[in-house]
Amino acid sequence: MNDSVLILTMVAAMGLGTPIVYATVGEILTERSGILNLGVQGMMMIGAVMGFWATFETGSLWLGVVAAMIAGALLSVIHAFNSVTLRVSQIVSGLALTIFGTGAARFIGRAGAEPLIGMPSREVFKPVLSGGLADIPVVGPLVFGHDALIYLSWVVVAAASYYLFRTRHGLTLRAVGEDPASAEAAGIKVSLVRYLHVMIGGALAGLGGAYFSLVLVPSWQDKPIGQAGWIAVALVILASWRPWRALWVAYLFGAAGRISFTFQTLEVNVPSDILAMLPYVLAIVAMLLLASGKRARLLGAPAALGVPYSREER
Amino acid sequence: MTRRFIVEPRGLATWWLKLLIPVAAVIAALVIGAVFLSITGNAWLEVYKKMADTAFGSGRGFAETLVSATPLILTGVAAAIAFKMLVWNIGGEGQLIFGAITAAGVGVWLADGTPALIAVILVVAAGAVGGAFWASLSALPRVYLGTNEIITTLMLNFIALHLMQYLVYGSYSPWRDPEATQFPQGRPILDGGRIPEFFHRLDWGIFIAAAVAIFAWFVIAKTRSGFEYRIVGDSFDTARYAGIRVPRKVLGTFLASGASAGLAGSILVAGILGKMDPRSLDLGLGFTGIIVAALARLNPVAIIPVAVLMGALNNAGPSLQSIGVPSAVVMILQGAILIFAVGGEFLILNRIRRPERHVAEVKAAAEGSAA
Repeated sequence: MNDSVLILTMVAAMGLGTPIVYATVGEILTERSGILNLGVQGMMMIGAVMGFWATFETGSLWLGVVAAMIAGALLSVIHAFNSVTLRVSQIVSGLALTIFGTGAARFIGRAGAEPLIGMPSREVFKPVLSGGLADIPVVGPLVFGHDALIYLSWVVVAAASYYLFRTRHGLTLRAVGEDPASAEAAGIKVSLVRYLHVMIGGALAGLGGAYFSLVLVPSWQDKPIGQAGWIAVALVILASWRPWRALWVAYLFGAAGRISFTFQTLEVNVPSDILAMLPYVLAIVAMLLLASGKRARLLGAPAALGVPYSREER
Repeated sequence: MTRRFIVEPRGLATWWLKLLIPVAAVIAALVIGAVFLSITGNAWLEVYKKMADTAFGSGRGFAETLVSATPLILTGVAAAIAFKMLVWNIGGEGQLIFGAITAAGVGVWLADGTPALIAVILVVAAGAVGGAFWASLSALPRVYLGTNEIITTLMLNFIALHLMQYLVYGSYSPWRDPEATQFPQGRPILDGGRIPEFFHRLDWGIFIAAAVAIFAWFVIAKTRSGFEYRIVGDSFDTARYAGIRVPRKVLGTFLASGASAGLAGSILVAGILGKMDPRSLDLGLGFTGIIVAALARLNPVAIIPVAVLMGALNNAGPSLQSIGVPSAVVMILQGAILIFAVGGEFLILNRIRRPERHVAEVKAAAEGSAA
């Protein structure tokens, strides 16, 4: 039962989906403040390399996680400065962050006397709570026996959702994303809120990146994260800016990423390149059906998303 | 409340400021690159000298730089004309690839006896049509359904990439060379469909690219259609009020943008590659085009020299491996250039001044009214 193709696919989908969960929830918090950050891919790359490097140097997985989050947050400050303080194009600035972050990560991975490239990770996150619980039919493998970062991602999703919809600070955040001028008039420091949430988004993207280099493919390569950062940007819309939905759509996309392997197991013959298109086709179709025109607004898009805010021009 | 600086929108920036900011962006990026190089124990000046030498030090080196610049002019134009109208086409990558697919398709389909001139024109034009078609997959939903084009163009990049890989690596399609048994590769297009080279590996494609850039400038600056385009770029509402059919303008611009990127693909296929080579077409040329457009401040003619600069970086990158420096330093430089170029827009759009004069005026006015 527990080794049926369906169950195995679902468990694998959770693994592949987890870095996307982190990055998507991070970008949701950023976009809720009204800032669009297309630098997710770059922040994940820098998180992946710094997390790997820190664990490689110290032998501590959790120091790796912390390093990845700090690296992602620091990179995101550039975007916050460009879009909040200088009020220039958020789209171009985000793309710049992705190019810079990807280049920096590859450079760091290959530079120095003993480059990281090709090295296996010194430590790997191992499954916890495996024991007998994981043998319970169906529920067992889905709920137990994951690594700590999967459980942490559930905590992050729950915390982000609670924060957004059940706390005063979450209300402040949403107000800034909907109508910064009114928020400012109510005494909220719009710039501060935006800086903070761009950085939280960066930290979570960095953590998502580290999940690749410390769990999924525990070694350093030039292209460790695939296109996960871009997928995350698309999923924010499909998750309609809500953390719990981000969890489910990220797992769905994890399953789409896993499908070629599943098809092989079932001896269904579809070319792998065609299957590799699936997540992207899925994202476009979902965008067309769910998020076109006014419907994007109804989904919950922050009204001030991507619009530069200046105190002087009201 | 007293503030140390006053930031206010600037009317028209002077020409020297518009030139100074991009130059400063490049210099600042070089400083960032030097920091990365120094931290990792490389002599940054040596690295930069090596890069300059590779890109500009010899006739062949410079020819190679121009070879690298050719597709960047076209992807740069693609980004510039779209961005100027606030059409966020970041699918230059996919449009380039799909243009290469259509161009190579025509190139292997045409009979060998086809007159060279006709064959070249058909192959190259097929790329523009293919690029425009790939852009239409995002443009039509954007214009008629209001679907966010950022996400759709982006996703279509990856779909095009996998499609290209499928055609060469994953299937026995007409695009795959039936004679390459060891490792799959693209099937060569007919000889007559190749753009002739005139110096080293440099072919006439660079003149096609430059002509497209100048044509784009001419249309925007000198024609009625370009005038309307500029109005739409300034404000959709104003344009609508002036009776311009905005959706049609947006659609046309989006397709032209895709055609330009597709042309980059077909010129690569008909030029240096001679076939659809998936690895040579997956170098991020679409994204680099966005850097080119931003640094050229969306001016199509300025794109030509800026593309040469980016081409120089792309050309110099691989040579660094011979002195033990990762070629990714080029990506750091390009990313940093874009960060500074977009940030620098702030200084072009705004001016910063000390508030003294203003405060003094207010005080004087207050005293005047009190007296």
